[in-house]
Amino acid sequence: MRDISIGALSGGALLFAALILIAIGPPRHVPLPRAPATYNVSGPSEVTGGGITLASTSVDLADDDAVYPDGPHADVINASCTACHSASMALAQPRLSSDQWKSIVEKMRDTYKAPVPEAAVPDIVTYLASISAKLPASGAAPLTTNDRSGGTG
Amino acid sequence: MDALDFGMAQSSSRRRFLAGLGLGGGALLTAPAFGQSLVNLALPGGPSTRPMTSAFPQKGDMILQRTRPPLLETPMEVFDRSVFTPNDRFFVRWHWADIPTSIDVESYRIVIHGHVDRPLSISLAQLLRMPRLEMAAVNQCSGNSRGLFEPRVPGAQWRHGAMGNAKWVGVSLRHVLDLAGVRAGALAVRFGALDQPVVPDGPDFSKSLAVDHARNGEVMIAFQMNGEQMPLLNGFPVRLIVPGWYSTYWVKMLNEIEVLDKPDDGYWMAKAYKIPDTPNANITPGTKDFPSVPINRMIPRSWITSWSDGTPLAYAPNLPVGGIAMGGDAAVAHVEISADHGRKWHRANLGPDEGKYGFRRFDANVRVPRPGTITLMSRCTSAAGVTQPMPPNWNPGGFMRDCVETSTVTLS
Repeated sequence: MRDISIGALSGGALLFAALILIAIGPPRHVPLPRAPATYNVSGPSEVTGGGITLASTSVDLADDDAVYPDGPHADVINASCTACHSASMALAQPRLSSDQWKSIVEKMRDTYKAPVPEAAVPDIVTYLASISAKLPASGAAPLTTNDRSGGTG
Repeated sequence: MDALDFGMAQSSSRRRFLAGLGLGGGALLTAPAFGQSLVNLALPGGPSTRPMTSAFPQKGDMILQRTRPPLLETPMEVFDRSVFTPNDRFFVRWHWADIPTSIDVESYRIVIHGHVDRPLSISLAQLLRMPRLEMAAVNQCSGNSRGLFEPRVPGAQWRHGAMGNAKWVGVSLRHVLDLAGVRAGALAVRFGALDQPVVPDGPDFSKSLAVDHARNGEVMIAFQMNGEQMPLLNGFPVRLIVPGWYSTYWVKMLNEIEVLDKPDDGYWMAKAYKIPDTPNANITPGTKDFPSVPINRMIPRSWITSWSDGTPLAYAPNLPVGGIAMGGDAAVAHVEISADHGRKWHRANLGPDEGKYGFRRFDANVRVPRPGTITLMSRCTSAAGVTQPMPPNWNPGGFMRDCVETSTVTLS
């Protein structure tokens, strides 16, 4: 066919794309507990102003199933200390004393409201101290100041 | 990733479970799983090994400190390539794991309320039409380099990569506050975000600034990072930028601005992120009962980035040395290099000035008379006259490291 205008071709392409998108439809098989479902056939929503466009975004956030490795009372720490954060948080810590671990576990309960029964605390501390025992003891004097600053960062 | 692509993705659940990404299994650090590579952060006493990961959305290869909630560290070689940190290599730090993974820009609102004349709810479309501010500024975690503290302290065990520099574009907070009308008697402005605690009654993350600081014209609500919208993990669609101050104040996914007429007694201001009220936030380990204040201004720092610490190189009589420096809450004035453990210092050449709150490149040449191991140091002095000290500072939170860092290279 000759003398098809660019406009007609573009219009045709858009119509074709729209028909495809309508046929595919919005995603139905992916559960999205929080997403305000704004899927629409013309693509993601955007806002534009002053030459800048922001486009709605959805991502798939990685998670891990890593657990605390074998050790004394590993079952207790795996039951108590995976709800809020990965095991790597604790496993990456430097060598800490039992007192320091106890202070940290108590902070998890008192400050961060971790649902850890008080009876579980000694077992958790025992486990964490066993992890620390695998790290080299440094030449410096053991740290006795527990962090009262609230930490993080 | 737009909404339609997400719907067509292969994963069957919102969170993909990635086996082997943690540090679990037998000894603290296992052999690489699934061909993942490991990096050695060389933290005194360890554990130093971390996996590299490219599994996070909108992020390239990052050092994995923690998956949930994410703690991702930038590999040091990224800082050698540019004084601006690419968005997909910019570090990530969240406190709570309930992070929204889907943001709709049309319905997003920033609510301004409290001790104001006119409570407001601002849309992103409105924000994009307000007078604009552009600024380069370093975003550095309060605990950057904590893993190097000796004696070691608990917390996120970063080496130096919990930082990044970007060009930020947005609206000054002052403009938004003045739209609401800050009432006389206002003391502070508190910032809330979309992420939520995962346990009931857990302290929701929020930070506040003194009202004069909030209105200083430099604090801004940013919607662009290095010319693009922000990665979701760096706070899309908008975050607070507090030039010259530590990252804890740079609230991500900012959705609430509350003007307070009394001090903020929330956990994240009153208890967390506090430093000793001493020079360099330094105390002797074991000190009890020291006065503390909320962490605040950054201080000068510098890092040699032209090689990794401990790299073997072929001997040449002339060794180029380069890196990045920052002045903290002021510009970089000069950077010096020492090859003799700080006895003599030599001025380095500074790269282009990309803004007082950004990274500044420095380069120098060091004469190497013979093969062997050399220890090099860089030292930054800011325009405020503050010079990096030699002795490392210490505090129990592992905050505000400021000392001269050391880099070794073996030439053979």
